[in-house]
Amino acid sequence: MRAIDAGLASCHTCGLLLHLPTAGHTHCPRCSSPMHLRKPASLSQTWAFLLAAMIAYLPANLYPVMTVVSFGKSQSDTILSGVIYLFVHGDWPLALIVFVASVLVPLLKMLALLYLLITVQRKSTRYRQQRTRLYRVVELVGRWSMVDIFVVALLAALVNVGTVATIEPGAGAIAFSAVVILTMFSAMNFDPRLIWDYQGEQ
Amino acid sequence: MTTPSQPGDFEEVPDAIVDAESKGFPVVWLLPLVALLVGGWLFYKTESEKGPEITVTFHTAEGIEEGKTQVKFRDVTVGTVNRVDFTEDLKAVQLSITMLAGTEEYLTDKSRFWVVKPRVGAGGVSGLSTLLSGAYIAFEPNREGQAQKAFTGLEKPPIVTIDKEGTRFRLRADSLGSISIGAPVYFRQFDIGEITDYKLADDYSYVDIGVFVQAPYDKYVHTGTYFWNVGGVSISMDASGAKFEMESLMSLLSGGVAFETLPEFLDTPIATENTVFTLYENRSKALERPITQTATFVLRFDGTVRGLSVGAPVEYRGIRVGTVKSIDLGADPMHKGIVGPVVVIDLEPQRTEAYRDIDQADSGQREKSRFEKDPVKRVAELVKRGLRARLQTGSLLTGQLFVEIGLFPDAPPAEMLTDGRYPEIPTLPNTLEGIVASINKILGRLEKADLQGTLTNLNELMVSTSALAASLEEDVPELSDELQKTLRTANRAMATLEASASSDGEIGSQLQDTLKEFSAAARSLRVMAEYLERHPEALIKGKGTP
Repeated sequence: MRAIDAGLASCHTCGLLLHLPTAGHTHCPRCSSPMHLRKPASLSQTWAFLLAAMIAYLPANLYPVMTVVSFGKSQSDTILSGVIYLFVHGDWPLALIVFVASVLVPLLKMLALLYLLITVQRKSTRYRQQRTRLYRVVELVGRWSMVDIFVVALLAALVNVGTVATIEPGAGAIAFSAVVILTMFSAMNFDPRLIWDYQGEQ
Repeated sequence: MTTPSQPGDFEEVPDAIVDAESKGFPVVWLLPLVALLVGGWLFYKTESEKGPEITVTFHTAEGIEEGKTQVKFRDVTVGTVNRVDFTEDLKAVQLSITMLAGTEEYLTDKSRFWVVKPRVGAGGVSGLSTLLSGAYIAFEPNREGQAQKAFTGLEKPPIVTIDKEGTRFRLRADSLGSISIGAPVYFRQFDIGEITDYKLADDYSYVDIGVFVQAPYDKYVHTGTYFWNVGGVSISMDASGAKFEMESLMSLLSGGVAFETLPEFLDTPIATENTVFTLYENRSKALERPITQTATFVLRFDGTVRGLSVGAPVEYRGIRVGTVKSIDLGADPMHKGIVGPVVVIDLEPQRTEAYRDIDQADSGQREKSRFEKDPVKRVAELVKRGLRARLQTGSLLTGQLFVEIGLFPDAPPAEMLTDGRYPEIPTLPNTLEGIVASINKILGRLEKADLQGTLTNLNELMVSTSALAASLEEDVPELSDELQKTLRTANRAMATLEASASSDGEIGSQLQDTLKEFSAAARSLRVMAEYLERHPEALIKGKGTP
């Protein structure tokens, strides 16, 4: 038996147990926090953030994340060209870290969210436990992708020696941070309870 | 499995407050739209900044890196090298370059590309900034030309780039004469331009030289301006002596040209781009007044014309009035059937205004003199009054001859001959020839003198001399006695001298002392020389402490 079946929910903020109507926006009489049985419009919001993230993923990888200007000679690097640079110069462990953190993780995260959304909408009953675990991993791992952005932001602020060396963030960096933030929002808006809501044909 | 609900268990649970329904478009769906818009705009921006793809070929790709080397115009980046390839025949490298948008119309067959890297040349050092930043490709846009996408890069930076203002001219010279590309152009010894290029004319008949004169000096170039070569040192020797000309040390090294406009040509129009000028060998050749009017005469000489050259001056009392045009052999009218030297001269009335009649000289107006109006007639008149031509030695040092014409009222009367191809001015012998003639005359006189009488006199003199000798012979024995005495006295004197000069003697011991001193001095000199050889610095620093 689910709480939704009994029309019951506890307030997220103050924990007060209340009767809730199955539809419509409600709020807690004690602390005025908005209340709902399921995250309202969870699927559509998740979809919206995910699509935006997917769109932003393209420029994030196609445009340079940073430009190093040294002695009048400027060099722009995208995430992938940086990975290739590191790999060619023998720093393959570092290349692997950057590749996993900046290319693979956001991509897998988006694919995972896509998978969760589709399976929920298709009312799939398979692998529910695994899917729930997948969701937890996605939510946990999300913020670590920001490592790249932190590096660029730090370098841009620190390396500013005029003609000798200057580092400027590129358009790709903005797009990339957008990808990370949007996937985090997307994951936040997904309600894992939806995985379990459909109980199958009775 | 759904378990039936048991609402009764939760009856004390209060109800949540129901909010008013807010219907409308879910705002969150604006996000993908915004992402799409921003992404699309980014894509559009970079794509629209991408200009045409072009290829430039160079001999080598020294200093050029794929994806990094930039194409710049006035130090602003207008393109990037994408790829470096070889041409199909492997003779050059081909750079694929993405230019910025908007450069299409400046990419024509007249646009130029060259690599800017540090260079050291005769004109100085350039491109030092690229030592740190790496080489870049300079681009000189030019919209006047046919659009094209494949270019051949210049191996050397052009001397004159489009951002320099000025005018280009072409010079024609017989020979290049130590001119090099980049050599200076002088105007009153100001360095105001450069030699941009040179090439042989298509039919090899002249050298075509390009010069660039910077603004604002280019307006001093009129159509009547003269250009001359100032390259190296010009040393010339002719009938007027030796000349030494040099513009500057720079021009000695790299050659150069200079120009000047004579005052009378200042009102000629200012020369336009690519006007063709003649490049003269030197300043004096360039600044000779242009001779438009000449009167040609012929001279026939009796003697040799060795030392006379074509171009030698014709002078009237030391003032140049003409030029020797040709020297050849021709019929000698004096001696039938024999050829003699024939010299053709041009009299050039414009060289001097003194040919005017005396009464016109003060009027100050440039009226044509009688000579200018009809030279042949005027010369014929003067010949009647004694005008003659003769060869004169211009310089004893070089032996160069020139033609002197002058009035010799004492000369045997003659008329100007006008029946030949040119009118003929009668000649007088050379002054040297005159001397030779006089000597010949003297010799001729000597030949006719009374040699026989002289010889008889000489004989008589000899006889009396031998009589005198015989009388002397008789006194000889007396003389020999005296001589013996004298010899004996001398012998004695020598002995005394020898004694005193021996080592025991006074002079001898002194001499020995002197010799010892001398050898000691020589020894110390040798020691010093050896020391100096080992320590040449002692000459400056002195003998240091050991």
